[in-house]
Amino acid sequence: MTAQRSWPRTVLGLVLTGVMLFPVYWMINVSFTRQGDMRKSPPNWFPVDGTVEGYRSVLRDQLPYLGTSLLVGLGTVALTLIVAAPAAYSLAKLNPRGGRALSFVLLMAQMIPGIIMAMGFYAIYLNLGLLNSVAGLIVADSTIAVPFAVLIFTAFMAGIPDEVMHAAKVDGAGPWRTFWSVALPVSRNATVTVSLFAFLWAWSDFVYASTLDSGGAQRPITLGIYHYIGNNNQEWNAIMATAVVASIPATVLIIIAQRYVAAGVTSGAVKD
Amino acid sequence: MNQTTQTPTGLSVRGLGGSASGPPRARARRRLHSEQWAAWAFLTPVTVYLLAFFAYPLYRNLDLSLRDYTVRSFVSGGAEFIGLANHRKVLGDPAFAPALTHTVVFTLVSLAFQFAIGLALAVFFAKSFRLSAILRALFLVPWLLPLIVSASTWSWMLNSDSGVVNAALRLVGIAPVHWLTSPQWSLLSVILANVWIGIPFNLVVLYNGLQSIPAQLYEAAQIDGANGWQQFWRVTFPLLRPVSAITLLLGLVYTLKVFDLIWIMTRGGPSDSSTTLATWSYRLSFGNLLPEFGPGAAVGNLLIVMALAAGLIYIRAQKRQYQR
Amino acid sequence: MNQLASRWRGLGVTLVALVTAGGLVACSSSDGTTGGSTYTIWDPYPQFDDSSNWVKLLSDCGSKAGVTVKRTAFDTSDLTSKTLLAAQQGNAPDVLIVDNPVISTLAEAGVLTTSDDNKLDTSAIDQNLLGAGQSGGKTYGIPIGANTLALYYNKAVLQASGVDIASVKDWASLTAALAKTTAAGKKGITFSAIGTEEGSFQFLPWFWGSGAHLTKLDSAEAVSAVTLWTDWLKKGYAPNSAINNTQTTSWQEFATGQYAFAENGTWQLANAKKTGFEYGIIAIPAINGGTAAAPTGGEFVSVPVQKTTSRYAVSQKLVACLTDSDNSLTTTTTLSYIAPTAAVQAKQVAANPELKVWVEAVGAAKGRTGDNLGTKYPKISQPLWTAMQAALSGSATPQAALTTAQAAAAAATK
Repeated sequence: MTAQRSWPRTVLGLVLTGVMLFPVYWMINVSFTRQGDMRKSPPNWFPVDGTVEGYRSVLRDQLPYLGTSLLVGLGTVALTLIVAAPAAYSLAKLNPRGGRALSFVLLMAQMIPGIIMAMGFYAIYLNLGLLNSVAGLIVADSTIAVPFAVLIFTAFMAGIPDEVMHAAKVDGAGPWRTFWSVALPVSRNATVTVSLFAFLWAWSDFVYASTLDSGGAQRPITLGIYHYIGNNNQEWNAIMATAVVASIPATVLIIIAQRYVAAGVTSGAVKD
Repeated sequence: MNQTTQTPTGLSVRGLGGSASGPPRARARRRLHSEQWAAWAFLTPVTVYLLAFFAYPLYRNLDLSLRDYTVRSFVSGGAEFIGLANHRKVLGDPAFAPALTHTVVFTLVSLAFQFAIGLALAVFFAKSFRLSAILRALFLVPWLLPLIVSASTWSWMLNSDSGVVNAALRLVGIAPVHWLTSPQWSLLSVILANVWIGIPFNLVVLYNGLQSIPAQLYEAAQIDGANGWQQFWRVTFPLLRPVSAITLLLGLVYTLKVFDLIWIMTRGGPSDSSTTLATWSYRLSFGNLLPEFGPGAAVGNLLIVMALAAGLIYIRAQKRQYQR
Repeated sequence: MNQLASRWRGLGVTLVALVTAGGLVACSSSDGTTGGSTYTIWDPYPQFDDSSNWVKLLSDCGSKAGVTVKRTAFDTSDLTSKTLLAAQQGNAPDVLIVDNPVISTLAEAGVLTTSDDNKLDTSAIDQNLLGAGQSGGKTYGIPIGANTLALYYNKAVLQASGVDIASVKDWASLTAALAKTTAAGKKGITFSAIGTEEGSFQFLPWFWGSGAHLTKLDSAEAVSAVTLWTDWLKKGYAPNSAINNTQTTSWQEFATGQYAFAENGTWQLANAKKTGFEYGIIAIPAINGGTAAAPTGGEFVSVPVQKTTSRYAVSQKLVACLTDSDNSLTTTTTLSYIAPTAAVQAKQVAANPELKVWVEAVGAAKGRTGDNLGTKYPKISQPLWTAMQAALSGSATPQAALTTAQAAAAAATK
């Protein structure tokens, strides 16, 4: 497709993205708003007479925690992939006895309210001494992603033609080789999907972080919000500023990842 | 091979948990045996994981719902086992029927719009154009925000007096709407915000599902003279079915358990007009000075049953489809 | 069919396995008591970091008692469930600072020690403030500071609308003042009527000011209080957003300078100075004049139950240090609260005459869980805020909403 013909699509794409991100814009707008103008009626559409007070305190207090968030996000992605991909391969292609029951349990596992999960983890971690640790938070965050990842991987891997598997088997590949060098590379799109969501969930998690990690020195950035939620008062411009500061590096990361992945896909890993 | 569908172009597709085809017996049994070993070897990590991290919370939830927990017995133990009394209590509560109705409406309407919009966007983004990768990535930004922030932003925008939505309506001469504070609108408002939050999920999963469909199929269809619309219905739609089904099922599970969004925006109010089973459960267990853990967990169990019912329907539908 | 049965059997086996494993985990969860000379303190002030006066005070008190203090700050709405959970696991903090209506719940749960065990001296504390920490004749904590509600007003708005603040003495004159301000194109009054405890907290001065009692929600007096708010909303004297306002949101509305009045708390005093307009404060009037009783707010210092009872001696020293009169002055100034003892209150007023109206308001205030309500209060408060929301949003008349509320409260507290 030539660049010229794609122009209308780009314009439409920009408009759609604009509509979709309007609430995000509004959040940014609030983050720059002075206390006195926050509930002005009608509201300011742009942060005229804005303040950077919120950002000043966020940049002063919260920046070190970005690293923790990144570590937790990537750790969650890794753990999720390690646990989920083999399981999904088995469920989709190897017909394990009891596999459906397992799928059911996975479905049910996602219905346990996050707070109950957090309460359970609290009890377990207290005894293991894992409270306020990055590793503990990675494990807890991965519980949001693992059931999802297994089910998504299964749906994608079920789409791999059986002939491809048979061909590998005829070539003498064992189940592990077939999984590693056939199923996994073909499931690149599923891997991308799962990794993205595992990362997003871990990055924006609040429930686990506040239950399991609120006393530690290595807190994720989302908990920085608490710094601005007093027992009687909330500083909304700083809260919104924290969210903006927290989402910028992650957005950049996702854009880079998507470009890289898009390039990889078109270069032909999936063809044939 | 009776459990696979034949697509027009000959690619076979199988769904979640599709069962084995039947090769000749004697040799098959031995092979099946070793295959089972391999299958479960692959499943070991996830099984261990489930046992280690989900068993205790699940047990806690069941235990909470079957005992008469007061704050005292929550701390020191010794709560009396009362069977299904908590469940009976919530089923007989006058708040139950409206909460159930709101849950069904909230879930189905959210799901329908999230999926339709997500699919439309996925198809739109499937053909790459200038900036498409960046714009697609930007659609994910809502998921980077902690829910407390995005829900508060929505509540900010929909504020009756100082909200930007009413300010915009006033510009075009429409009287302000009490989005969050009138019983007529509150449910719609939280659905609106929830659809917004759900779009990225549907977009990403469906988009990557589309990418997995081999380009040759479209080329073949084009050679056969299919136009864009026909390509969508003949190639895209059937091949996307496994991914669509799991997207809908997961979407259903996630929508059923949404409580924080509603809680932050309306607290389930006014007058319970936006109370769903999930917010009710939260209010019982945590939204009051004196927590009622038992009934709260019982409402949670009702949600689990609803999700399981949906799961059963899903597997049934899958099976029927392949047996055709 | 066979296949279906085997599938369910598979599920059953898995479930049994899950539950058994869960039981094992549950049994193995024993106590993880904190060791040696480190004492843990939990507070609901996450806005204060390690460089704040508050945290400095905590560590100073620790060194005076010869121990190290490990302080953790929680969001106030999380602190109750966190404490219950920690107590269940035998990991409760040594000193807990918690919102006053929660004290009766935690006492009911057996989480807190009484003054018999922890030997705290409560003799100097104002009785109306201490009430929220007492239940069944026992005292479970000491108020670290108190706050309550009053009416802030914007002098410029009142002047522009021709209202003399001295004329606002009862509900009728207040409503008349609101009518004048709205007629002058300004906005009337903002408050928080959200469907949580916060909404009840804000409504109680009007409820009590009408002469109503929490034991009878559907009395004629109670109906008159709900009707007052409902009429304000209907006539546009109060914003419709009040139904969903938290106290912060309501304050932000007042801070725009568009409103004549705002019902808000002592803690906004520091923010009031930042608004850039002249403000004044009056006590909330009762229906026929005089000051309405407002609910007391603020946190209590308490000593949770420990396995090792010898720890109480040090905990007691820590609490005594936190609440002694010099430190109390620092703490209450930091938090923008009123001190719980007459002596410190006098010092506060001497340092800042503006606080006089607040000291009087706190003196007239009463605890929500007082009147011997204790843990019954939450069961009454929820129907009350539900009724208030129903009436304000127009889904029921004040009378009908309160009748429902009384039935619900009676059923819950019987």
